[in-house]
Order: sequence, then structure tokens, then C-alpha cells
Amino acid sequence: MTSQPHLVKPPRLAVWLLNLFALAEEAESILGDLLEEFSLLASKSGVAFAQRWYWRQTIKTVPWLAGIGFRTAPWLIGASVVGGLLLRKLVAPLVGLPASALLDRYQAFFEHHVSAYLFFASTGSDIEHLISFVLIGFLVAFVTRQREMIATMALGLVYGAMAVVGFIYAVTKTGNDALLWRLTWIFADAFAIVIAGAIVRMHRLAATSRPSTA
Amino acid sequence: MRDRDYLGEFEHIIVLALLRLDDRAYGVTVRQEIELRTDREVSIGAVYATLDRLETKGYVTSHRGDPTPERGGRSKRFFRVTAKGVTAVSRTHRALQNMTEGLGSFGVTYDVATPSR
Repeated sequence: MTSQPHLVKPPRLAVWLLNLFALAEEAESILGDLLEEFSLLASKSGVAFAQRWYWRQTIKTVPWLAGIGFRTAPWLIGASVVGGLLLRKLVAPLVGLPASALLDRYQAFFEHHVSAYLFFASTGSDIEHLISFVLIGFLVAFVTRQREMIATMALGLVYGAMAVVGFIYAVTKTGNDALLWRLTWIFADAFAIVIAGAIVRMHRLAATSRPSTA
Repeated sequence: MRDRDYLGEFEHIIVLALLRLDDRAYGVTVRQEIELRTDREVSIGAVYATLDRLETKGYVTSHRGDPTPERGGRSKRFFRVTAKGVTAVSRTHRALQNMTEGLGSFGVTYDVATPSR
């Protein structure tokens, strides 16, 4: 039986990353081109060499794909960032409702368990934020078809940058360095937006995918 | 979009690669042609981002070929330079020639063989 170099598959994670960022039309050409060269390199120079080459191409290509996504629809990305920040005002109180109801319902319990109340009021509130940002990420990704990652990353970056500036201002004003550790929650919120974008993107890809993904 | 746009460095290289490759110009061949002739590693993303920009400006057109098994059933996207693209590359060449003229003493030359008429 003759060898069939094209059966050697490129790194799945790299293919996944490219799929995540590429517009449908770009993905068709770029993944096809990369697979063609990868198969050739694998048969000529070995699979390990071809895989390293594929990763190098992926790492260099993803920023370009993000750039294409932004350049071809800058207003959509801009509007989704503004919309996402405004949505936070709408979604955050809604997500907080069940927690407030729980506090009211078990008021007697919390009166006798102050540490539980403090945990619920602080970490619980941070978790509420996280959930609201996941929901915002889903909504933004839903309306930015094909550009889910660029839109959610842009929103995460803008939100993160605004929060960092705000916290630095607060720390310099109050001198309370302890505030800085809360930045970890801010980064988690920004990350949650992007994760939601990736989930929507993957779901859409799965709905339209062909039998072979490589 | 201005009518007297000059091509950027990488746009210039891409258009020249397309002209060299003629009807064989698609992502793989364009990327390999540039690597071969400029001795620099080029990402497929950079090639497509530039080709998309050139297509938006009307300097190149593209069409899809048939899907092939060695590409996982994906089709090739072939590119071709338009008349407007040829004009833009000539304009850029002329500008570079004019700017380089008389700089031989600095070791800067821009020798392009021009067809005799």
C-alpha cells in the first residue's frame, strides 16, 4: 500500500484556533492552503517539522485574521463593545435579583452566621458579576456572527482597561492597596466574556462543520 | 479611496508575485513565490490580509477553484491582477525610480529593466 501523506493531520489545537478567528470564506482558503503545504512538508521533511511549521503559521496568522475581522466590520465591533458595556448596566441587576431574594429569604440564618453572610455578600457578588459577563459575552457573540472572537475580545480588553484605570485611580485616591487584589476578578470577568464568545463560535462551527475539520 | 494611491511594500511584493504566477496564483503559490524570491518567511494570514485589501481597492480579483482532496475538500482561491492593479504597480515603480535617481553615490540603486519600444 502506498503512503498517503495527506492523511497526516495538522495539530488540532492550531486548526481550532484558526477556525475560531477566521471568517468562513477566509477559513476555507487558509485552512486548505495550510493543509496542502503541511502535507507536502510532512512527506518531505517529517511530521514533527511540518507540525512546527503549522504552529508558526498559526501564531502569525491569527492576529491577521483578527485584523481582517475588525477591518471588514469596524462599526459592528465598535457598536458591540459599546452595547456590551451598556448591557452590563441592564444585566448585572437582573443577575443580582436571585441573590438578593436568597439573602431576604434566609435573613434569620445569616444573622446568626455573619461569616457566611460576608462570604455571600463579597464572593457571591463577584460570582454574580462573572455570570453577568458570561451572559453579556453570549449576547455580544450572538449578534456578531463570524466575528464572535474579535467582538468579545475587544469588549473584554476595553472593559479590562477601563477597570484597571478605575482601580489605579481608586488606589491612589484612598491609598488602599488591598483593592488591587480585586483586579483578579476583573480579569476573570474579561476572560469570561471571551470564553462566552468562544462557546458561541464553536457552537456555530459545529452546526455548519463538514465531516473533516482539518 | 484615492485614484493615485501607491502600493505599500508588501502590497507591491504581492502584486508582483501575482503577475509572475499568472493563472497559478493562489495562497500557497503566492506565499512560496515570495519566500523564494525575498528570502523571508511569510505567514499565510499576512498574504490573505493584503490580498483582501488589494481586492477592496480593485487592484486584484479572485475566484474559487474546485475543491480538492489534498486540501481536505476545500477549494483554492485564485487571484488575478486587474488593469487598475497593473497601473498602480507601474506608478509605484516610477515613483521609486524617480526617488532613487541620482542616489548611486550613496550605494542606492533601483535598476529595473524597462522594455525597449
